[in-house]
Amino acid sequence: MTELGFLKKENLVEFLKELATKSVVYVPVADDDVVAFKLFQENSTICLDRPANIPPKTVIFPQYETLLTFTFSKKEEQPDKIDVKIQEKMDFKDTVIFAARPCDAKGFTVYDRVYKDSDIPDPYYVGRREKTVIIGFSCPNVSPGCFCTAVGSTPSDKEGSDILMTEVSGGFVLEPVTEKGKAVIQSKFIEDGSKYLEEAQKKQEDVKNKVKNPFKKAGKPQISQEKFNDDSFWELALSKCLSCGACTFLCPTCYCFNITDENKIWEAERLRSWDACMFPHFTLEASGHNPRPTKFHRFKNRVGHKFLYYPEKYNGVLACCGCGRCIRYCPVSVDISKVVDELSDTNSENKTLTSNGGEA
Amino acid sequence: MKNPYLPELATITKIIEETPNIKSFQVVFNDHEKMKTFKFEPGQVGQLSVFGVGESTFVINSPPTRMEYLQFSVMKVGEVTTALHELHEGDQIGVRAPLGNWFPYEEMKGKNILFIGGGIGLAPLRTLILFMLDNRKDYEDITIIYGARTPPDLCYKDDLKEWESRPDVNLILTVDNEYPGWDKRTGFVPTVLNEVAPKPDNTIAITCGPPIMIKFVLQNLVKLNFKDDQIITTLEKRMKCGIGICGRCNIGSKYVCKDGPVFSLAQLKDLPPDL
Amino acid sequence: MSVDKLKDAVKQILNEVDIVIGYTEGFDKVHATPLFINTQDKVDQLIWDQRCVHNLASYLPSLKRKKVGVIVKGCDSRTIVQYIQEGLINRENVKIIGLPCSGVISLKKLLKAVDFANIDDITFEDNGNVNVKTEKETKTLSLMDIAPDKCKTCQYPTPLIYDILIGDPIKSDKPKESVYEDIIEFDKKSLEEKLAYWQKVFDRCIRCYACRNACPMCVCQDSCIAESREPHWISQRATLTEKFMFHLIHTVHLAGRCVECGECERACPMGIPVNTLKRKINLEMKELFDYVPGVNPDDKPPMYTFNVDELKIKEHKIG
Repeated sequence: MTELGFLKKENLVEFLKELATKSVVYVPVADDDVVAFKLFQENSTICLDRPANIPPKTVIFPQYETLLTFTFSKKEEQPDKIDVKIQEKMDFKDTVIFAARPCDAKGFTVYDRVYKDSDIPDPYYVGRREKTVIIGFSCPNVSPGCFCTAVGSTPSDKEGSDILMTEVSGGFVLEPVTEKGKAVIQSKFIEDGSKYLEEAQKKQEDVKNKVKNPFKKAGKPQISQEKFNDDSFWELALSKCLSCGACTFLCPTCYCFNITDENKIWEAERLRSWDACMFPHFTLEASGHNPRPTKFHRFKNRVGHKFLYYPEKYNGVLACCGCGRCIRYCPVSVDISKVVDELSDTNSENKTLTSNGGEA
Repeated sequence: MKNPYLPELATITKIIEETPNIKSFQVVFNDHEKMKTFKFEPGQVGQLSVFGVGESTFVINSPPTRMEYLQFSVMKVGEVTTALHELHEGDQIGVRAPLGNWFPYEEMKGKNILFIGGGIGLAPLRTLILFMLDNRKDYEDITIIYGARTPPDLCYKDDLKEWESRPDVNLILTVDNEYPGWDKRTGFVPTVLNEVAPKPDNTIAITCGPPIMIKFVLQNLVKLNFKDDQIITTLEKRMKCGIGICGRCNIGSKYVCKDGPVFSLAQLKDLPPDL
Repeated sequence: MSVDKLKDAVKQILNEVDIVIGYTEGFDKVHATPLFINTQDKVDQLIWDQRCVHNLASYLPSLKRKKVGVIVKGCDSRTIVQYIQEGLINRENVKIIGLPCSGVISLKKLLKAVDFANIDDITFEDNGNVNVKTEKETKTLSLMDIAPDKCKTCQYPTPLIYDILIGDPIKSDKPKESVYEDIIEFDKKSLEEKLAYWQKVFDRCIRCYACRNACPMCVCQDSCIAESREPHWISQRATLTEKFMFHLIHTVHLAGRCVECGECERACPMGIPVNTLKRKINLEMKELFDYVPGVNPDDKPPMYTFNVDELKIKEHKIG
């Protein structure tokens, strides 16, 4: 699929307007200096020059959603008993995410393995995912704390995007990655972009070379099991952590959730809402027992999940895209890349470790 | 695509007060066809819904060999369990089941079976005990060591009476301390296990109970020369999705709701110690 | 003040305490990060400059069982005073190293001032100039232009409580009346305008609770109304109603307790000016009870006491 398209800068809004006639379109909007993906409007202050504070996972995996609704009614023949009617809430619209950074687009592929390509797929996620076209946007520059090249990606990684867009002088080169993406650029605003290919590639290469690698050792980080299991390491590395959920909620790959019922009198709903492994409630059992009672246990699990457990299940793929948000927005600058670097196995060659330290 | 979050409507047909804070609920699906075709294995769990309050996970403690109803036992500790305790026979609940793995009962055939339970931890063992009693010839000696805080805290009193009377079951009961009218053993389960000192030869030990009991039972079994693959436990964790996604019941890369709740000690030793 | 004096003091104190909490270099040139020093060899990692924004006193209640040394600025010292008023720390277990401070940077303001460019280097001059080198340019900014609002009206540049003071005390040159000027100004807006404003900013809230967890005075810890199911105060929906409810309860819980360190606002990854609410209610408390939190260790917070007669609340007078 190499039919490159080109979108003139001055046609950007018109192109989005055209998309918005067929789909719900989300664009990165700057409001009071905070960038987040919001519904496209003609006067949206689209911000492309820095990554959104919060990734567009909000579009496919919203902060909360209703899974089921329950309606109660009295049984006619037995008025002391209640009948329950259960309804599934599944109404997914054609959607476009415009200008997702490659790390954010790749984040969805981390979700996909768990939510979509599993033996028990999640119909809510799959429903939205399949109806969503992701227009990725090659990073025009690097951001503080980002380290995608150190975790097997690049600022112009196509994985997860249906189209990859790269800014060149005068506009954007659009490279379709999937059939879904190809269909989207069938637009009167898209011209042939082949003559801009070279410029786009050069730009991609320039930005890629600017990404810092926080790891001393080359290649994907390999965590030493011995260090990982040393509690004193975590206690010192994490003393400053506040145990809030900023790192997880801003992470394009963090996918943990809560399910709660919210009750009105004759109806109730079952909600799914974001939850964070950094919260003590997350694992707290009704008996009062908590298998991960301190922030050290919880952060250990967070790092373990991204760099050991997930790779163990999914062919060595890390559940971290290196977007850097958890570092950038942590109120006390806990730096996961530094923690992983300190944990890394300086003796071993590059091999995939299982969570018990054996070779996968 | 099947919606794994969609519960099946079911009706509570009977409620048994097991102890002052544990009730057993016998439920049948409203859809009779579903009840007839429902399949599960001993050790698998289900999510029970009190609509408008929430879901909680319980083991199906009736055996698959007795399919008139599914039984769940509920200790009143939190929001959902309290709401369950307030329900009456004839009330509607939701059931998502079966979830998780099960006891490797095929591999246990021809072996001596040692059950070690504490408190409500007898629930997952009960399903396997009844299953084995219904297939009694497949298994050699069956020994059950079961304890609770006080005699009223012992669950499944009718079952205990029956097992006690059976010549092909060796039931050893204990309570933590002396109690008026109690003439059997006293002492904690791990200590009683040491006193009974079962032989590990051709034996599989299966244990469930409070985390602290499990911890010492595992230690004592190892001391009694049981090998890691001869020891099986079934774990409990806070769960939500029940399908290995939501992230709270994991121990390392394993999700108790999906990859568990049944683990051998050999498997557990490969995982981080987040019990 | 040279950082060497600070390091010497910390080395001394480390003989008496389990941990000293200070600052060290963060992940890039503009970030400092809290440093927990438990051995002498870590002392050399200490830094002290205008990047040292965090309120390190916030860690004290969670370390109540340990002997802890802590480095505090004037504003941070109010947290310790308030902890003493509320009995949240054992004073004898805490060694306070006070540092007079004439202002720190606000990361959010700094980034805006350089148009969100990547900052390669930053240096601070004694005259209040800040030199920032970005990919595109080198710029000199005035510290007060990129300082958090609290610095612009700071009444307590020198810690109010300390065991060791490093550096010469600084006297505030900011008028007392200036402290709540912005709040009074904001309050002049119409109700509709204010509602629209808060709706807009709270719409961004992601309920990550960074504001709560960064707040030194949030004492409910793991029993916060935001997550509690028993009792069930707030649903897990993320509509404005829930967000308002959480933030307003947070605010009310801090009435006459908020030491205005601004950590809630600094911690917010979504740029919500949450401290404004707390300062508004502090202003009310000041007017009603003539009470300023975190100033005098012997004070009692007004919401911790009950008087039938409150001098300033006329309508409550009996008879």
